[in-house]
Amino acid sequence: MTGYWVSVVGEDWRWRAFPQKGDYGAVPVNAAARRIADAWDPAKDAAAGDDCKAYAAPSVMRIPGRLHVTWQDNQTLKIETDAGKQTRLLYFSTPPAAQAVDWQGSSKADWDLGNAGAGGLFFGGGGGRGGPQGGSLKVVTTKMRPGYVTRNGVPYSENATLTEYYDLVKEKNGTQYLVLTSMLDDPAYMSQPMWTAVHFRKQADAGGWNPAGCGGK
Amino acid sequence: MRRLHLFVVVVLVSVAALAAQTPTGVGPGQGAPLGPMVSGPDFSGSWRPQQLVTESQTAAGDLVDFGGIPLNDAARLYALSWPASRQTVKQHQCMGYVTPYFWYAPANYRIWEERDQFTQRLTAWRFYGQIAQGDRTVYMDGRPHPPAYAPHTFAGFSTGEYEGNTLTVTTTHLKRGWIKANGVPQSDAATVVEHYIRHGDVITMLAVIDDPVYLSEPLSKASMLVRMEKDPDAWLYPCDDSEQILGRKNDTVPNHLFGQNPYAREYAGKRKLPVVAALGGVDTVYPQVIGLRDDEATVKARMMPSGPAAVSRAPDPTPNDGQIHVFRVADNVYMLAGDGANIAVQVGPQGALVVDTGAGKLSDKVIESIKTLSAKPIQFIVNTSFHADHTGGNQKVAAAGADPSVTGSFFSMQFQGAGAGATIISQLNTQVRMLANKLAAPPTDTFVEDRRRKFYNGEAVEAFPQPNAITDGDSVVHFRRADVIVAGDVFTTTQYPFIDTANGGSIQGEIQALNFILDRTVYVHDEDGGTLIIPGHGRVTDEWEVAEYRDMLVIIRDRVQALIKSGATLQQALAARPTFDYDVRYGATTGAWTTDKFVEAVYTSLKTPPKAGR
Repeated sequence: MTGYWVSVVGEDWRWRAFPQKGDYGAVPVNAAARRIADAWDPAKDAAAGDDCKAYAAPSVMRIPGRLHVTWQDNQTLKIETDAGKQTRLLYFSTPPAAQAVDWQGSSKADWDLGNAGAGGLFFGGGGGRGGPQGGSLKVVTTKMRPGYVTRNGVPYSENATLTEYYDLVKEKNGTQYLVLTSMLDDPAYMSQPMWTAVHFRKQADAGGWNPAGCGGK
Repeated sequence: MRRLHLFVVVVLVSVAALAAQTPTGVGPGQGAPLGPMVSGPDFSGSWRPQQLVTESQTAAGDLVDFGGIPLNDAARLYALSWPASRQTVKQHQCMGYVTPYFWYAPANYRIWEERDQFTQRLTAWRFYGQIAQGDRTVYMDGRPHPPAYAPHTFAGFSTGEYEGNTLTVTTTHLKRGWIKANGVPQSDAATVVEHYIRHGDVITMLAVIDDPVYLSEPLSKASMLVRMEKDPDAWLYPCDDSEQILGRKNDTVPNHLFGQNPYAREYAGKRKLPVVAALGGVDTVYPQVIGLRDDEATVKARMMPSGPAAVSRAPDPTPNDGQIHVFRVADNVYMLAGDGANIAVQVGPQGALVVDTGAGKLSDKVIESIKTLSAKPIQFIVNTSFHADHTGGNQKVAAAGADPSVTGSFFSMQFQGAGAGATIISQLNTQVRMLANKLAAPPTDTFVEDRRRKFYNGEAVEAFPQPNAITDGDSVVHFRRADVIVAGDVFTTTQYPFIDTANGGSIQGEIQALNFILDRTVYVHDEDGGTLIIPGHGRVTDEWEVAEYRDMLVIIRDRVQALIKSGATLQQALAARPTFDYDVRYGATTGAWTTDKFVEAVYTSLKTPPKAGR
């Protein structure tokens, strides 16, 4: 999973690249969320220093951009995004207790071997780097600073829980994809959990890596 | 109601049989190879598609929303020329769904496994979609994919394997279908690889479409299914193409001329999006899409033909390996491929009836192959055209039909040359052209306007003349029990029709000949199966491909006709590139039949149609 990945924006380009106010697509918003989204004012967010509200864990992986994935240490996988210059730390050990509440929250990672057949191919599992093979990388993130699940102001609350599964697939021609399945559970603003699936294509190098602050600054 | 039930059962059985079609016609657990012992996640159950964060991955999509798709220029123009009213054409009313489009219908799906009764090994996964009654079989028993000249279906031919917690499915032999049903095509040369990953009650699928014809690079797309606790029932979705537009001629196919799609900017305009992004392409697939901004020159350039001339990017299904390949099409009718034009052979207790004899370079092997199908003499040959790739084997194949037992009998008096060899039958002008061109072994038994019919080997066989199509002497042959039509060069899957204007061919006669075929075909379910077609060149098909070919020719005719109406010369018509969106599938810049020659034939025969009659 380590290396550079580019997001495949695909047919959701309208929502991912050019989000418009009030265009929620299929996000299962409730009435409270709709009120907030309809009042969304990006200038107001910028003035308040909240440019990064749409670059939080529930949203940043869907923003068109690139990932740089490395091991910070044997127990911590680091995902950096060039869009918004965000850093996610996925802890296979217990996340630091004193970690401040921020956009990326507190992420606990585990290798999910539940569905693996005999002899998985991809992940070098265990409690971090190395160990048993097969299955998905499961990440549960909590304690996120309230922000947006989309770049057009649809909110999530401080009590939201984000569950993610990372899977690697490899084509016969050598092309590798990282498939991210995620579920955001937020009873405060959603009528039901929001499932999404996005994917990234592996890059041979850092080509196109172009860190830019939230809102493209 | 009982009749409806019976009909539904028949349809389901037929669809299942079609989906299970293999080179040997063997279904899972019925003599198929035992295959490897495989195990992996269980996908069984009833499922519904999960709307992603957006609504984009539903079945259709908005008109001229091609963004995020790495379509090439040809695919874009194909889509821009497609109006939604195309679906009113008879053969489009019940079009099936190719994969991965199969999974994007807003309806229910069922997945179950097939296991060998005695070993309990997993032999296949079955995917069933409520919309269109899509029925896919994914073989897990290690069987090979069929040869390239075998028929394609909307389900395609799928094999699967486990890779860790992922089921990877490879599908070939797909028909031309939709990437998105707003006109973005997926060609019949596409290969689709799908990866299925299960997380509890969710399946995430990553589909990768590799389409050398219509995509600049493989298209990857993720989607999801959510498990339903209860089977939702209501699984049937029969479709009859019974809608009619009264008074519409059958050579009408709705289309927009290049640059004249009135909705080309509607989607982007209403949503304040860059038009250039809505028109799709590789630069709309990756993060740089955010930076796309309209400039009128770029937008206009993407809506009109441009760039170098394209040639077909579809693999030629014809085995050119110096061997004759025998393919059982249906019942007692076979296709022999490998020596020029396809050869059809019908066998039975009376003997062999052969339609066309190939180029004549491999005639000995052709005769050997026919003998493996029938020990009886070859009694009849039908030529669909005088062209040498269809008649080159006449002399040898006819001679192989020598049968002293009929010499001097009434049989030999009825059929010219019988006893000395097979009787060669054709439309009169084929005989005339062969004699004029001093081609060996011309037909000796001819017909003019009416069909030539014969009840042979327990089956009604009809040869129908097709005036002024490829030439003025074409015929198509229908084996009525097997329900196989031999089209000759009226229909090929490999190139634009070889309209021979010097010998009486014309675009309008060609379109009429294709419509003649379509008036005789019946599909089993959603444009799959039923009447099968042996083309002059290429792979076995059913009516869908004939309809697609007809549509293409009507659209190209309309474009050339519009150019003529505007006063365009032949050179101006060629420069306008009226075949642009089809060249990637059928075009050629070298060889005997180039795209320019085809356009010239269309232009010429529209400006100066052949005289009616013969």
